[in-house]
Amino acid sequence: MRIEAGARTDVGRVRRNNEDCYQIQPALNLYVLSDGMGGEAHGEVASNIAVETIIAHCQQAENSRTTPIFGEPHPDVSERTNRLASAIRLANRKVFEMASANAGHKGMGATIVAAWIEGQRLSLAHVGDSRAYLLRAGTLDQLTADHSLVAEKVRIGILTPQEADASEMQSVLTRAVGTHENVEVDADEQMLLAGDALLLCSDGLSRMVTDPEIASTILTSTSAQNAADRLVDLANENGGVDNVSVIVLRILAKPEGVLERLKIWKRNTG
Amino acid sequence: MSRLVLKFEGSTLKEVPLGNQPVTIGRSPDNDIPIDNLAVSNYHARVYVEAGSLVVEDLNSLNGSFLNDIRVERAMLKDGDAILIGKHHIFVDQTHDVALIEDTWHKAPAPRVNETMVLDTRQRREMFEQAVAAGERSQLSPDRLRVPTLAVLSGRTDQKEYRLVGKLTVIGRSKMATVRLRGWFTPNIAAQINKHEDGYYLGRGDLVPEVNGAEIGALTKLNDGDLIEVGRVRLIFMYRE
Repeated sequence: MRIEAGARTDVGRVRRNNEDCYQIQPALNLYVLSDGMGGEAHGEVASNIAVETIIAHCQQAENSRTTPIFGEPHPDVSERTNRLASAIRLANRKVFEMASANAGHKGMGATIVAAWIEGQRLSLAHVGDSRAYLLRAGTLDQLTADHSLVAEKVRIGILTPQEADASEMQSVLTRAVGTHENVEVDADEQMLLAGDALLLCSDGLSRMVTDPEIASTILTSTSAQNAADRLVDLANENGGVDNVSVIVLRILAKPEGVLERLKIWKRNTG
Repeated sequence: MSRLVLKFEGSTLKEVPLGNQPVTIGRSPDNDIPIDNLAVSNYHARVYVEAGSLVVEDLNSLNGSFLNDIRVERAMLKDGDAILIGKHHIFVDQTHDVALIEDTWHKAPAPRVNETMVLDTRQRREMFEQAVAAGERSQLSPDRLRVPTLAVLSGRTDQKEYRLVGKLTVIGRSKMATVRLRGWFTPNIAAQINKHEDGYYLGRGDLVPEVNGAEIGALTKLNDGDLIEVGRVRLIFMYRE
């Protein structure tokens, strides 16, 4: 399994500051994206601290297996997925403490979506309305459930998806990193297959570009970086009302050995 | 907005916008652009604006900073320049500057509509009370109180029955698989089942499974009593009391 990564962040067409940020760690196979909030230039402080804390905690855990897990582990996901959730809880505490200690930083926070890949297994964790999508066999699926007021109302059945799209409350989050002392992190896992593409993005993409546009852009791109650039361009062409950030990963098959080719041939011929 | 783009072997790793504060580069994690590589000094270099020009300055690093392949101690930067530090390149991108300056000149500052905010604890509680009143909490559906189970009808597997306890259940030959299939030609990941808020969904692996005799397209929600075929293995999905 080889992974080709591409990424891009852009301020958009309306805002003056880019409060989004992302980081890719090829050695760890770790991909983190964050959308900061809090205005007056502190959103980017929150998103940067969150991303750096997550990367540092995962790196530390890689170096030393005895690194303690921060917070309560989820019993239904793997150790590595728990590690990623732990890193986000730690980032939450760090941003929260900084916001509490410094009057100028009060109210800052961030969303997080993070993917950590080991072999074929994808560990995914998120807080807020930044999303992960999986494009498999031509079908785009949203892997994350937004922690926004409208999305939660749709899930519990008191708002229709159409009402949600038209709502003026779309920017109201139910969870974020750094705004409360503790945060509940959603964690999930998935086996990746050769031919898959994984997209992490801020709401500056998902509110500007429709799912079919996202799917066709990735499918017709020449590389992961080309897909990332074109998605950001598309968000800007459609209005670019917010900062927009994307990480695109293309999962490629390893060059197969003779034995593996024989197995695939046998599988396909029944 | 001008920015610095960190790249390693052609991949973009990070982008940092350039503002009034200097951008620091080095091995220590408190740099704006941390580079975890032994060839990089703790505080290796910095980039800042001086008298309207962008400048890179080497901070007496051991292995040096290179601008377009020439070792520099201090040098002016222009759009498209590449700074080499260790094996990482940092590119200067000022392509968006012109548009931004014009923008500032002609338009009033954009109103901060759509400012993101987070509900406080009380507001969240009110929302959930509203939801309970609507009587729609899927978490309380009866399926959640019973144990999702895969029972093997035929085929070579390591057990006859599996309880689905995790969020991810892998069916295949892999050591990580919950439902371990035998057979030389069986793929490591034949199919997978994901637990979502509202139930269990079957997805393809290197094989496309069938549910009740039809090949699945996208993710397919499993219902009590569904018959699943993956390769030569047949399973029944059910909720056990």
